[in-house]
Amino acid sequence: MGLLDALTGRHQVKGPAPDRLFAITTAYVTLQSAYEIAPAGVAAIVFQALQTSDFEATIKDMEAVVRATGGESATQVATQDDSYGYRWMVLRNPAGAPSVEDLAVGINAVSSSIETAGHGERLLCSVFAFADAKGHPIYFIYNYKRGFWYPFVPAAGDQQRSTERELQLKAQLSGELPMEPELERWFPLWGIPI
Amino acid sequence: MAVTSHKRGAAFGKDTGLQARMLFTMFLLVVLYIVLIGALFAVGASGVTILVVALGLLAVQLFTSDKIAMGTMGVKEVSPAEEPELHGIIERLCVQADLPKPRVCVMEHQMPNAFAMGRSQKSATVCATRGILQLLSPAELEGVLAHELTHVINRDVMVMTLASFFAMVASLIVQFGFLFGGGFGGGYGRGSREAEEAMFVAIAVAAVVYAISFMLLRALSRYREFAADRGSAVLTGRPSALASALLKISGTMERVPGRDLRSVEGMSAFFIVPARAKNSLMNLFADHPPLEQRLAALERLESQLQGTA
Repeated sequence: MGLLDALTGRHQVKGPAPDRLFAITTAYVTLQSAYEIAPAGVAAIVFQALQTSDFEATIKDMEAVVRATGGESATQVATQDDSYGYRWMVLRNPAGAPSVEDLAVGINAVSSSIETAGHGERLLCSVFAFADAKGHPIYFIYNYKRGFWYPFVPAAGDQQRSTERELQLKAQLSGELPMEPELERWFPLWGIPI
Repeated sequence: MAVTSHKRGAAFGKDTGLQARMLFTMFLLVVLYIVLIGALFAVGASGVTILVVALGLLAVQLFTSDKIAMGTMGVKEVSPAEEPELHGIIERLCVQADLPKPRVCVMEHQMPNAFAMGRSQKSATVCATRGILQLLSPAELEGVLAHELTHVINRDVMVMTLASFFAMVASLIVQFGFLFGGGFGGGYGRGSREAEEAMFVAIAVAAVVYAISFMLLRALSRYREFAADRGSAVLTGRPSALASALLKISGTMERVPGRDLRSVEGMSAFFIVPARAKNSLMNLFADHPPLEQRLAALERLESQLQGTA
């Protein structure tokens, strides 16, 4: 933000950064083969749902598009609002055939139709769910404003996270996934519905 | 299946009028301050001394005001475990605004209010009172916190502190100027009489500068409030939630006993709704715009959003 913007208090919400969403489609291979972290077959995109008729129409269209494009893998779509007023559009592969590629394509279809409708700045993040060998959930979160990924590993207890595990994952995937360099922007998402 | 296109421009238009008024106000302040600096240099050494002293005060103000405020107001930092919802809302807004997360504080006070402090984005603090956390729904609270974060984004504390710097110099001259000019010069004959006269002129100029800059600063502060309301609406996409929050807060504000209000009067410049029982001052002197005007501005934003404007 420039000096003039600061002086005039003019502030625009940033649109999405250059898209690095598809980095997950190569990184998950490493996760699976080297670290026994398997995709859970679920991903979600989180955004602010504007309470306007044209935005609702955009969302309806999106759902239809995702259902249509996910035809072969039979991706299911569900939406829900969380307690913060953000909308989660959850894409789920049928059990037994988790495909990160299909999910990434579906998520990308949703984000690009929101952008095409002129609401790109409403996108918050995407979340891809994984599970380690013991079945503990591991999430990879993609921040649209920054164009970076970061891991999020909830730990036992109320609102606890395993920072150690997250830092290990950062080291393990540093060559594969563009990681958020500023650790203070590794914002947790509590109560992830996937 | 055809994808209907709902493409429109950005949901919110620009408010060039507000920006123009803000720049014009700042321009007037700069002109005014140049006059003041001219007067100080005309006075000579003692005028420059005042300027140096004031610069020192400015640095102290910029680097300690938030700590002093926190110390005297009973504001304490809260961890995510203590206030998960407050942290959650702020974290999501920071993602949306691409902003580093500020320190999050709560003030144990029943008066519903919120404020932002700190000279830069990195050293920012956002504070909410216990009263506002209890009063508002999550969406309304989000609107209020987005308003405060917009103050952080717009560097309002820095802008207002710098803008009021020379007003502070002027008030110093009005209050203590006689010490530098008349007070010291007792036994130096004719030279000191000239210095004395120059100092009286400087004091007169400073008084005028102070009076005018006072009104300009109040105007600037109101414009920055409008900008923060607007920024909040843009950030959350929910202008009406902020409007509803302002209505709720102001409704409660008027019922809060006077003693509580007086004890927090000093912080009113940073509050989302000023801490005064009734708007006893003239509009021209108010540092927050009247509620009706803020609501009207938010209503315009909601109409733009709904595509009916």
